[in-house]
Amino acid sequence: MSEHGIDSQLDRALDAALEQALRPPGLPQRFRAELGAARRRLEHLDVAQVRARLQIEHREQLTTLQADFVRIRRTTLGTLLGAAFAAGAGAVIAMPWLRSHFGPLAPMLIAWGGVALGVLLGMAALRGRLGMQTR
Amino acid sequence: MNTALGRPETSDAEVLGLLRRGAREQAFARVLEGYEQKVFRLCCALLGERTQAEDAAQESLLRVWHALERYDGRAGLSSWIYAITRNRCLSALAHRRTFDSLDAPEWGEHSLEPAADEVLPNASDGRVQQLRDLVELLPERQRQVLRLYYFEDRSVSEVALMLGCPEGTVKTGLFRARAALAALLERRGLADPSYWQEMTS
Repeated sequence: MSEHGIDSQLDRALDAALEQALRPPGLPQRFRAELGAARRRLEHLDVAQVRARLQIEHREQLTTLQADFVRIRRTTLGTLLGAAFAAGAGAVIAMPWLRSHFGPLAPMLIAWGGVALGVLLGMAALRGRLGMQTR
Repeated sequence: MNTALGRPETSDAEVLGLLRRGAREQAFARVLEGYEQKVFRLCCALLGERTQAEDAAQESLLRVWHALERYDGRAGLSSWIYAITRNRCLSALAHRRTFDSLDAPEWGEHSLEPAADEVLPNASDGRVQQLRDLVELLPERQRQVLRLYYFEDRSVSEVALMLGCPEGTVKTGLFRARAALAALLERRGLADPSYWQEMTS
């Protein structure tokens, strides 16, 4: 963390502590021998078996990706619907009070309020994203 | 033949030359010299569990061995090896999720505790374990980036290469991990810098 935005004493202390806690693990000495043994075993394995195993793995990866994609789409759709309902409900609740104070301008006021809120949220999201990218 | 933690010294051209001369065995030996530690560290960062990481590293290197004859140098050797390793780890993670959903025992229980032959100077200090436990609570992607960042001696470019993503994404991941960790410390009353300074002094 040293070069990327350490700006407090806690960050510095934590950086040093993390360096100590997350030391790179070393390979066990038996690793090379085990790898050699596995290679020799595989030499005798049927190529078709290897291919079948890889195909199964590939299918599993595709299923996982598909499931993640569907989950993200559901979350996005849910958020959009929720936000739309919340905005509609807010407008219905606020309308009588706005009419009494602003008369026929009330619907226009709500529309412009919605636009302003949308622009603000968009800018905040964009700023957050750019800010994090540059840190 | 690889630098302590930095980029391996095994060059693509050297391995390609050996392969063209039909010296596959020697080419693989060069790959092992340059990359076996890196592959293992990548597996450790992605899987967070030593035994699984050893298995994944072994299988990744076996795949490299099998595919080595077809390596033509179009992709960088490191990118190619890391892509094979990431795919193997993704499969392991997908399997783990399946087992987790069937209420299998916790995989991450022993996480990356050092092996018997690795002695940490301050291993007796409970704070090391405390911090490791806190890192385990971070979301998966943040955890992976944070681990690899420290495993690779704080090199953002190396982490990006190993994870196959832009450096900006790594920085974003680190920023979020740092923020999440700070929030966790705050919530647990551990946000006193001197507490962590004592651990490293």
